[in-house]
Amino acid sequence: MGIPTTYTEQELVLALKERNNQAFGFLYDHYAGALYSIIKQIIVDNNELASDVLQEVFINIWRKIDTYDPSKGRLFTWMLNIARNASIDTLRSKSYQNSQKNQELPDNVYKEAANPFTLPNVDNIGLKKVLETLRPEHRVLVEMAYFKGFTHEEIAEIMAIPLGTVKTRIRNALLLLRQFLK
Amino acid sequence: MNIKEYIESGIIESYVMGLASESERAEFERLSAQHPELVAARRKFEEKLEAYASENAVPPPPEVKVKVFKAIINMENSTNARPSGLLRFVAAAAVVLLVAMGYLYFQTRQENRDLSSANDRLRDKVTETDSILKQIIGEQKAISDSNTLVVNMVGTKAAPKSSANVYWDSASSKVYLVVRNMPELPSDQQYQLWALIDGKPADLGVFDARDQKVILQMKGTKRAQAFAITIEKKGGSPSPTLEKMQSQGKTMLTQ
Repeated sequence: MGIPTTYTEQELVLALKERNNQAFGFLYDHYAGALYSIIKQIIVDNNELASDVLQEVFINIWRKIDTYDPSKGRLFTWMLNIARNASIDTLRSKSYQNSQKNQELPDNVYKEAANPFTLPNVDNIGLKKVLETLRPEHRVLVEMAYFKGFTHEEIAEIMAIPLGTVKTRIRNALLLLRQFLK
Repeated sequence: MNIKEYIESGIIESYVMGLASESERAEFERLSAQHPELVAARRKFEEKLEAYASENAVPPPPEVKVKVFKAIINMENSTNARPSGLLRFVAAAAVVLLVAMGYLYFQTRQENRDLSSANDRLRDKVTETDSILKQIIGEQKAISDSNTLVVNMVGTKAAPKSSANVYWDSASSKVYLVVRNMPELPSDQQYQLWALIDGKPADLGVFDARDQKVILQMKGTKRAQAFAITIEKKGGSPSPTLEKMQSQGKTMLTQ
């Protein structure tokens, strides 16, 4: 039918900025699974909510595609960060916290994070699998920073360790992550 | 900065994964513009991360795709479609607005013209007042100057009540006159001020009785042993009519 079934990244971005539905379908088919994976790594216990977040993420990608700047990173990186931020926002939202009736979330998060041996270990997928290869004291920091969205300053306060140590440990953990991906 | 060390510091991973702080991001973007090898290293990590994420993809429930497409099609419709009723209303409102703006424009232009000419008149007045004030200040200064000699002109037998003050600054040669009390003259006559220099009168200009209490600048003179006022025909005479001398005063500088 003359409709392209594959795109280079440049072609894809151009077509998306022209609001081409075909290109958006391609984008969804290629990336929904990877983004759903990251969303589920953050919203661990609620598939329905994770699906809602995925829907919201793709609608936002469609709406904000004009703000994507290729000089700052690949399209997937941009989408990954949208998905991560939307998931963390959901995790922190009042309605989500109210839905966790039996657990008071902020306390729960702190307790979980503060003790590496109680990190949720069930169904570890994607990047979390990589985290398993890290030393516990490194793993907990990356977990808090990447999957819970705490700033380095917040982590230093919660864990009662110096900010410099938090930064160094996270940097080292990220370097190990790169090694792992090679 | 050693760019190799920077690349190996973990900043690339931190930046790509959204963990870098605002200032770290700014620095990274600034250095990326200067170092292609930094950009290459970033792209390499991004590709690895993307490949890993794709390998570990989790298929979402199929209904999500349907919901997403329904939502974006709705968004497209709401931004593109405009009901014709609304369009007619907008057109009518535009015409009303245009007429109102036209009326306002002409009214404002007229007001603007009126204000502008009033402004011009005020500015002329201010300029005029300013120059008068400057003159007065100048004269006041000359009069109060320590170099200025005040010569009190006293009446002669012909006119005992006449009186006037001459202010003479010998340094600048300027001569000012303040009329205190001089009788009104017929319209064909005027008072004339003279300086007496080595016994000879020199014309310093004419004035009228109604110039009372105004500081008059007269012709200047470098030297004078005395001043005198006479009545002359309108416009003044080349030499004084001494029998009509009204008042005179001696300077202190008599030689």
